[in-house]
Amino acid sequence: MSEILVNKLTGTSTAGSILVTGEGNSTTTNLQQGLVKVWFNYNGSGTIAYRDSFNCASLTDNATGDHSVNFTSSMTSDDYSSAGIVGNGNNADTANSQMRRGTSATGSIRLTINYASGGETGLFDYSEITGNINGDLA
Amino acid sequence: MALGKIKADTLEHSTAGSVDTQYVVNGSAKSWVNFNGSGTVAIRDSYNVSSLADSDVGIYTLSWSNSFANDDYSSAGASGQNSNAMVTVSCAIDTTAPTTSASLYNTNYENGSGGRFDSNQVTIQVLGDLA
Repeated sequence: MSEILVNKLTGTSTAGSILVTGEGNSTTTNLQQGLVKVWFNYNGSGTIAYRDSFNCASLTDNATGDHSVNFTSSMTSDDYSSAGIVGNGNNADTANSQMRRGTSATGSIRLTINYASGGETGLFDYSEITGNINGDLA
Repeated sequence: MALGKIKADTLEHSTAGSVDTQYVVNGSAKSWVNFNGSGTVAIRDSYNVSSLADSDVGIYTLSWSNSFANDDYSSAGASGQNSNAMVTVSCAIDTTAPTTSASLYNTNYENGSGGRFDSNQVTIQVLGDLA
């Protein structure tokens, strides 16, 4: 098995672009574009706190079900792609707990956490909130 | 300068640990997108997306620049709306089955009667095997 010991990978033609051969052994995918730039797992109930994260700085509790995740290294724009799931802590509505994307900035993303049940919706501080972000780092 | 090429099974950082390169290949998102699904739909930013089609109210078709090896890829997404009236907006895979080159997604709201809705903030990420 071959092994490379390295702290930094840099493209030769373009520093921020390295191609990786895909699983089918023909098409290539861009390493930098495909890497998740931010991920987080935090407790949004009570005093909100990260359990684990990558490229996350502080966590802001704006209001019930309204949190901001602040990045250590910013993105180039606020047009990044985000996804996440939430749950646990609201037995009546865990079947339809949702993360909504709020105001985004290059250095943070604001998340609105909701439940929905029988036509009723509301903001809620779930204890399990996880998400990740793909996009371009600054 | 000629392009360099490295073949390796493991990458190791001096302090942050090592990773088997299969995680780099399999663990990298093969596509991601941020688009406005309201009005004239438009991609704000994306990777490996060739087109976005407005297939119906709250239904969008994303086509990939490089196809997947099969239609069993994983999609994750979120959507939102800059309107307090739409408290809850979700993003789901459409009932139309995904193909290796495209997939349909729905955005919905759940206030009152609920239903499909053209969300102005839709983001989707896709992981799987490229062709």
